[in-house]
Amino acid sequence: MATEQQSKSLWQHAWETLLRDKMAVVAMIIIFVYMAMAVLSATGIIVSDWAAEVGPSYGAPSLDHWFGLDMFGRSVLAKTIKGTEVAISVGFIASLLSLVIGVTLGSIAGYFGGRVDEFIVWFYTTFTSIPNIMLLVAITFISGKGLKAVILALGLTGWVSLCRLIRGEVIRHKDREYVHAASAIGGGNYRKLVKHILPNVTHIMIISFSLQFQIAIKSEVILSYLGLGVQGRPSWGIMIDDAKLELARGVWWQLGAATFAMALVVLAFNILGDALRDALDPKLKGK
Amino acid sequence: MNLYVYTLRRLLYIIPVLLGVCAIVFFLFSVVSPDPTLIMLGKHASVQQMEELRRELGLDRPWFIQYLDIVKSAFTFDFGRSWSTKQEILTMIKQGAIPSLTLSLPAFILSFVISITISLFVAFYRGKILDKIAIFGCVSMMSISSLAYILFGQWFFGYKLGLFEISGYEYGFPDFVPYVILPGIIWIILGLGPDVRFYRTILLDEIYQDYVRTARAKGLGESLILFKHVLKNAMIPIITYLIIAIPFLILGALLLESFFSIPGLGAMTLNAVNASDFPVIKAMTILTSVAYIIFSVITDICYTLVDPRVRLK
Amino acid sequence: MSEEKLLEIRNLQVQFNTDRGPITAVKGVDLDVYKGKTLGIVGESGSGKSVTALSIMRLIPDPPGKIINGYIKFKGKNLLDMSLGDMRTIRGNKIAMIFQEPMTSLNPVFTVGNQIIEVLDLHQSHLSKEEKKNKAINMLDLVGIPAPEKRIKEYPHQLSGGMRQRVMIAMALACEPDILIADEPTTALDVTIQAQILELMNKLKEKLGMGIIFITHDLGVVAEMCDDVAVMYCGRIVEASDVSTVFKHPFHPYTKGLMESIPSFDSTEDETKARLKTIEGMVPSLFDLPKGCSFQDRCPEAIDECRGKKGPPLLEEQAPGHQAACFNPLK
Repeated sequence: MATEQQSKSLWQHAWETLLRDKMAVVAMIIIFVYMAMAVLSATGIIVSDWAAEVGPSYGAPSLDHWFGLDMFGRSVLAKTIKGTEVAISVGFIASLLSLVIGVTLGSIAGYFGGRVDEFIVWFYTTFTSIPNIMLLVAITFISGKGLKAVILALGLTGWVSLCRLIRGEVIRHKDREYVHAASAIGGGNYRKLVKHILPNVTHIMIISFSLQFQIAIKSEVILSYLGLGVQGRPSWGIMIDDAKLELARGVWWQLGAATFAMALVVLAFNILGDALRDALDPKLKGK
Repeated sequence: MNLYVYTLRRLLYIIPVLLGVCAIVFFLFSVVSPDPTLIMLGKHASVQQMEELRRELGLDRPWFIQYLDIVKSAFTFDFGRSWSTKQEILTMIKQGAIPSLTLSLPAFILSFVISITISLFVAFYRGKILDKIAIFGCVSMMSISSLAYILFGQWFFGYKLGLFEISGYEYGFPDFVPYVILPGIIWIILGLGPDVRFYRTILLDEIYQDYVRTARAKGLGESLILFKHVLKNAMIPIITYLIIAIPFLILGALLLESFFSIPGLGAMTLNAVNASDFPVIKAMTILTSVAYIIFSVITDICYTLVDPRVRLK
Repeated sequence: MSEEKLLEIRNLQVQFNTDRGPITAVKGVDLDVYKGKTLGIVGESGSGKSVTALSIMRLIPDPPGKIINGYIKFKGKNLLDMSLGDMRTIRGNKIAMIFQEPMTSLNPVFTVGNQIIEVLDLHQSHLSKEEKKNKAINMLDLVGIPAPEKRIKEYPHQLSGGMRQRVMIAMALACEPDILIADEPTTALDVTIQAQILELMNKLKEKLGMGIIFITHDLGVVAEMCDDVAVMYCGRIVEASDVSTVFKHPFHPYTKGLMESIPSFDSTEDETKARLKTIEGMVPSLFDLPKGCSFQDRCPEAIDECRGKKGPPLLEEQAPGHQAACFNPLK
């Protein structure tokens, strides 16, 4: 009971620290707006007509169309908003996948130790030896191009650093008194791990999740450029890729809009990640 | 445990890791990947054609033989021939290495010098407004897609201002120089955000150590403390960071090379991806992994040599 | 007999800006340091004793810390008015300092000799390279490090904690400073090593004749080491006099509490000798100090006045040469 109460006030304290950080609050608002846009566009409430031709090909930004028009006369603004759908879903599902893999392997390795630990350490050492970009390419390639492939590739490659951190923390917590107390009252391994150790590493998961989110958004753009990304629906990566040919004609707005849309949300995640780290675990600074 | 035993153990650990890398490569390209014969021959190939091609490529042999082939190639660097160009892959790698290194090596060194200078400056003014601006600048720069930097840089400096070559490559010094300047500059700018942020963290970690307080109590000035005491201690993580980055120089800058049509290893890899050229992708994966493994062992051993503190475990 | 006053601190106030607002860690401290004498500053952690010491060296990390009031006169000159450049010619030269953590206070990547010679490079640059090296060896010899010619080539991690603290002392004394500030120099060491270091410091004081400021949480050590003592609590001096006077008759209940918690202290009352007492309760947080006396909640002698609106008690002469800050001093 004592630890539970303590951790509650710890969260409360962290939350208060976070709210006092104005930058972090702005970042949270930005992220919330993006999430809302993604949900609204996915359910067809907004920008369902993004594919409609609303003006001349490559129409420049104007009062009617703030971000200009693309080759097919479609509104770049609508496409950019529609693009949040891909970005947020890739970011969210991929980082969730990384989180699950990282936490599972990390806590198993840390908790059971011995041979199991050696095997998992060997596995992630091996995994990190392969350059991430090669793995990304290989996995998207194999699972066939498209949204699912991108999410799978990013999810399957982003778990290593979290796994390391969790393993270290679990090892640290394993021998603490409250865990021993739990075994004394007859808690099984699973119960001990889930009920007593994992709540103590939740902050690491949150920080890592927010970091992984923006890495996934950035990587989606690159995969799209490599032709391995989503097809047939607007994504910031495809918009930036299109800009390759447009810039020479002086059409910069598609690049501008996609870059700005992406940079803003990535920046927000970066700032939130740093603020979370400062609020939840100052020790993690710089790691 | 002494240094020799440690080194030996560290060297021996290469073997299981290398076997693991080969296993992952094998798993990805030979177990779960779509049938390469289908990719090469298209949908309308007859069963007989496919059988023939499988035999030709050695795909009909037992799985462990195919795995052993991969393991063997990790030691001999004999990766066979490319499916698309039919060339010896090792020859292709040797050819591609030159343009890649002429771009990546100078850019890597310059990037380090610039980033460390800026971060020393920033660390000197820690907590002040300059430091805060620099940190925000770093995070902002990291938030912009690397593709945007490349596209904008190429268009603005190359196309609009006409300052630099925007495409192509020539072998030999100094002919290659004009072709690598712009991608080199973009490389440096891309690295600025994350590198300055990292070096600053390392430097600040050291600045708050007790020995710095001692140095101040001795009457040392701030700049001497930073450049002598702090930098020497910070060098250890910084060197680690640098050495670990070296293997990735082999890949060059995948995106930069492809945008600027530099015929390096990065561009070669991308071409292979587009052409579903399995042997080349596998070769590049294994090559960079082997380099990574070797360099991380070097880092570990350097660590024990450079740092008088390190106690071997 | 008039003594040469080296250091005069008056009304020193140090503030720290924290996330939860500013706190005043030192609230108007007065201290004097005389040549050839040792002044002990005693208090629990958070009492402001280390901050006071760092202020003398002007080593308070700024931000977040700042000296907001008072002066520190060294031989008549106010250190707080000096330029940083002038201050650097004082640090390590006229006033030297050793710290609590011998394990981390030396730079791990430079040899011991290198680090001693560095002080000489700064403050005695007229010496030749050879002279500096010889001096470094002599200093190590002086602080009782065997085979100093060999030791100067070693790195800190090759030395034990006690040896490292000896190196710190050698480094601090290399320029024959007028004042040595020792901030809990033995807290991190084993008891036997602790005794050796204290003995060494006493010997060196006699030999070199400097004034020492000795900071500790242990009154027992003060009895062994110091001529004068100042007891600090929550940023204020609560009792000050020469050591024997304070030990004979403490006026402040806190001082008495500290004395009773010394294991080997020879109390005149036999019945208290047998059991070890501790002061109940904890040091209050500087963020929410009680009104009135900061010690009220732990004080067995507290009266209404202590909790009153009069504010904290002031340091007053309770007997000739013996000051205490207490509304209800012990009789």
